[in-house]
Amino acid sequence: MTPAVDMRVRIGALEMRNPVMTASGTFGSGREYADFMDLSRLGALVTKGVSLLPWAGNDSPRIAETPSGMLNSIGLQNPGVEAFAANDLVWLATQDVPVVVNVSGHTVEEYAAVAERLDAEPVVSALELNISCPNVDEGGMAFGTSCPAAAQVTRAVRAVTDKTLIVKLSPNVTDIAEVARAVEAEGADAVSLINTLLGMAIDTNTFRPRLARGVGGLSGPAIRPVAVRMVWQVARAVSIPVVGMGGITCAEDAVEFMLVGATAVAVGTGTFVDPRTPLAVAEGLERFCAERGLGHVTKLTGALRE
Amino acid sequence: MTCADTHTPGRPAPLVERASVLANERVAEGVGLVTFEAPRIAAGVQSGQFVHLRIAEGAEFILRRPFSVFRAGAGRIEILYQVVGRGTRVLAEAEPGTVMDAIGPLGCGWRIPEGTAHALLVAGGLGAAPMGMLAHELARRGVAVTLAQGAPTAARLLAHELFESVCRRTAYATDDGTAGACGFVTTLTPELIAADRPDVIYACGPEPMQRIVAAQAAGAGVPCQVSLERLMACGVGACLSCVVSTVHGRKRACVDGPVFDAAEVLWEPAEDPETHGDSVPGASPGPAVEAS
Repeated sequence: MTPAVDMRVRIGALEMRNPVMTASGTFGSGREYADFMDLSRLGALVTKGVSLLPWAGNDSPRIAETPSGMLNSIGLQNPGVEAFAANDLVWLATQDVPVVVNVSGHTVEEYAAVAERLDAEPVVSALELNISCPNVDEGGMAFGTSCPAAAQVTRAVRAVTDKTLIVKLSPNVTDIAEVARAVEAEGADAVSLINTLLGMAIDTNTFRPRLARGVGGLSGPAIRPVAVRMVWQVARAVSIPVVGMGGITCAEDAVEFMLVGATAVAVGTGTFVDPRTPLAVAEGLERFCAERGLGHVTKLTGALRE
Repeated sequence: MTCADTHTPGRPAPLVERASVLANERVAEGVGLVTFEAPRIAAGVQSGQFVHLRIAEGAEFILRRPFSVFRAGAGRIEILYQVVGRGTRVLAEAEPGTVMDAIGPLGCGWRIPEGTAHALLVAGGLGAAPMGMLAHELARRGVAVTLAQGAPTAARLLAHELFESVCRRTAYATDDGTAGACGFVTTLTPELIAADRPDVIYACGPEPMQRIVAAQAAGAGVPCQVSLERLMACGVGACLSCVVSTVHGRKRACVDGPVFDAAEVLWEPAEDPETHGDSVPGASPGPAVEAS
């Protein structure tokens, strides 16, 4: 059967079968979810953040449930780019899905070194530059909350790779559009947003924070209206594609992001709620378009009536 | 090499199943036993594995809750749970016919070493939760099983009828002396280890208890396995919420555990268990939280 709706979208040189990606940090390297879904039906698979050397991550507890959301402070625990390439990328090379690797670092040099290493890997279709993790002391969000720092790290990574470069933005700023413009000017092919909102929850029995690190990143449906607003602001400010995310659990949530300007979307916390969510969103999007006679899913992008 | 690596070939893949409540009863003060019809999970689950249950939907329940499978068979799984927070309160009120989404079977469960003739099970509080299948399986293999169980009071001892039917010997300790010895279960274990000379010790309960049993086992030169509890989000190894510090680095309780070799665990300084219970009530691939 020929699909009634053309679901393909393009982010830089990254060609996707549909607009639905997985959000970094919620999908491991994909292998963890292979029992639950046909990964080839994802638009793209975005891996957990990878750094130059192994990172141990933060102390436990690392998560706390909050109304319509959760806080996390994992702290980018990962085995380092060499182990990642030797294990995860080798496995991902056997899968029929575009791979986007999330790149983390403490310093500009580390980001560039990871990007340079991944540039040599044919299985990697694109890099997502993580300048927005709220859970590490050095690097992470520090780069995403200052325009000059965001520009500097984007420039350094752009210099070492021709792969599609997506920069993941932090919502913990006064003007996210300004940061988006700064990274666009340095050659980013796309921006993705939002990373988690810095939050905190307290245990009233113990008088202690519920996360060992005190603060963490808020995700889930609780943050969706903030995310939609920010995608709306950024899409108007830049001419590169925008990947929208924040609390997507169903196709209609994804449609919201596309209407305000997202070319693609990512499902994160929704996958924890139900591992079938990313594919359900992709299928629902197709149905949504078919029911409205939209021949191409890209017709939703920026179709907001204002 | 992790447990997940070594066990993957023989383990049935986890799946998502609509699990229907068949019965749900209070079996001790603050503790319930729920029976689900979940034939696909029941067919594959091994002792010490868990299911990740979506107890309720709506704004208050973004995360699933992990529960050890106490027993399984005939298309059914049983879960022992302690009411410690919002999620387990909803579970306690679930009527027969209620359907919940379950992911399972998950995790690496108990391992029975080749040639085991005698095993010691040490359960503190809800630590009995992952031990029903284990006790049955050991007995079926002709292993002589001794159970040491601790609880705050006699009314909180769990499943003693089941354990007494399959164990060669049972010993109890209660904080108030209403059953067995007065004190913690760890006051019983040195004598049982010396008398029975078990080939393996299985422990589950509050982490301080497991730490003490692990030390006692190490001192006696007996291999010991522990089932650990952590807050969990994905339950399948992706999110790294549930890590346990080990000599091989931080391992995921959901796929590398929840059962770990005690000798590999780097025990953390005592945390306040109330914190866990409040954030994700009933999170218990290992024990749920001791209430007091």
